[in-house]
Amino acid sequence: MDRALASALQERLGATLLAPVRQRFDETEIRVSIADAIPTLRALHDEPNFAFEMLIDLCGVDTGEEMQIVYHLSSSTTGDWLRVIVPGVDRNAPRVNSLVSLWPGAEWMEREAYDMFGIIFEGNRDLRRIYMPDDYLSHPLRKDFYLADDASRSPAAGVRNMERAGTPADATRATALRKSSGA
Amino acid sequence: MTTQQTRPSLDDPRIAIPSTSEWYEPAPTAQTERQAEFLNLRDGEMFINMGPQHPSTHGVLRIVVKVNGEQVVDLDPVLGYLHRGVEKLCENADYHQAICYTDPLEYVASLFCEAAPVAAFEKLMDVEVPRRAQYIRVLTMELNRIASHTLFQGWMALDLGGITPILWSFIERDEIVDMLAALTGQKLLYNYYRIGGVNGDLNHEFMSRLGNWMSRAAAQIDSNTGLINENELFVRRTRGLGTLDQATALRMGVTGPNLRATGVPFDLRRDHPYLVYPELEFNVPTRDEGDSLARYMVRIDEIRESIRIIDQVLHEMPDGPVMAKLPRLIRPRPGRAFGAVEGPRGAYGVYAISDGTDQPFRMRIHDPSFVHLQLVGPLTRGNLIADTMAVMASLDPVMGGVDK
Repeated sequence: MDRALASALQERLGATLLAPVRQRFDETEIRVSIADAIPTLRALHDEPNFAFEMLIDLCGVDTGEEMQIVYHLSSSTTGDWLRVIVPGVDRNAPRVNSLVSLWPGAEWMEREAYDMFGIIFEGNRDLRRIYMPDDYLSHPLRKDFYLADDASRSPAAGVRNMERAGTPADATRATALRKSSGA
Repeated sequence: MTTQQTRPSLDDPRIAIPSTSEWYEPAPTAQTERQAEFLNLRDGEMFINMGPQHPSTHGVLRIVVKVNGEQVVDLDPVLGYLHRGVEKLCENADYHQAICYTDPLEYVASLFCEAAPVAAFEKLMDVEVPRRAQYIRVLTMELNRIASHTLFQGWMALDLGGITPILWSFIERDEIVDMLAALTGQKLLYNYYRIGGVNGDLNHEFMSRLGNWMSRAAAQIDSNTGLINENELFVRRTRGLGTLDQATALRMGVTGPNLRATGVPFDLRRDHPYLVYPELEFNVPTRDEGDSLARYMVRIDEIRESIRIIDQVLHEMPDGPVMAKLPRLIRPRPGRAFGAVEGPRGAYGVYAISDGTDQPFRMRIHDPSFVHLQLVGPLTRGNLIADTMAVMASLDPVMGGVDK
């Protein structure tokens, strides 16, 4: 756990952070809003006292109430992982800015997040499905996409729900939608 | 009344023969700016389809190549032929089951695929792994790294057109795989790591096989390597091919040997230490050239470092339990954790979110092959079609991991 990193982050980004910096084991976590996300990541990448040059992971998260984009960064200046969470993305029309201008390698990870969650990344030139077929309609990792097994677990959601959702707005909000308090 | 069935004849006017324009699928319509650029054919260019069942695609991958003569102008990998939805399956399984879903991701290095989720779950549970279990994990992971790298050695030569090396590299790999089978009961998908330890202590058969192998491992690896490294065809074919510079590698999110071949000494075992790696002595081999040959050489150097690590582990292995005391039903408190390990291809990461139930709420699996496959396009532009395979082999992606 790198205490110096936490205070440096708090000092540099204090105004844009939505929550205080959190640390656990070798992970440091900050939360920023959708508008601040890309400038914050750019600052973390460019400024020599942070120098987070490596994007290890980019993923979407559906908490059942909202979407999140989560970035994991690594730097040679600290032994900690930096997790940047961008919460509060609208579940019905998820739309955020793309990271491709900063890390071109994020392109496929954003395509995956689009495929799995329907999140639209503005600025990504190749935002199309990557795993599922082109004519597939729903987004499988959303919490309102049920596996066949779930029929036994939640009476509100039957097997047929699986393929039904068209656009994110059409997705039925079943009574048993799993929501996370941990995200 | 019976009518006699006759074989349909092409002369039969009732049979409609499609005109030649209907034989082919209509050209796909572009969905994105990039795809429109790709589908736009200029004079003398044509599309060639490679795969999905191409012998050198390391799994099931289709690549649409735009060629001008024999020169690759552009290419578009089509993924998803092996997509199993592992992340979704893990969300609907409990924590123990989720570990064995991750096993078949990279089937040539499955111990790393299970080490990453186990590391994340252990952070969620806040559990200390017994020291002996940590040593056993390091030992088995390094063995698996050697197995994966020796297989890479053979594959790479095979993709360049040499048949012999793969037969030789399989000798070493088989020995390691048999050894791990004696320990875990499985040859490929081990399912050996548990949250808080490993499933079963080292046994006699494993130790005697390991001892036998270690006594000749270094010499054997050297002789296999000599078969390829001193081959002029191999060296001239790979030197300067698919050169990746340091800045691009960092921007593309490359990790593992592919990054170290460009001169960045980034290794999770050093930079984000886990298990007992900080106590072990080993080098992080790097090369500066960044071409296919450098990527190959880095991996060969890593095999030697792994043998060194195994040697130290065998000398320092402590006695003690191999499992921490944990309840059978795992219910971590709500929270988030990121666990990552340095695999033979790069950083395997798992981001797990717990909501307090016995199933992970979200389990993101990051696979390095997925990121590295993006490079095939930029690195092969302007090269020959046959070099596409050489570049891809040197990046060493495994489609099981790419497609999840």
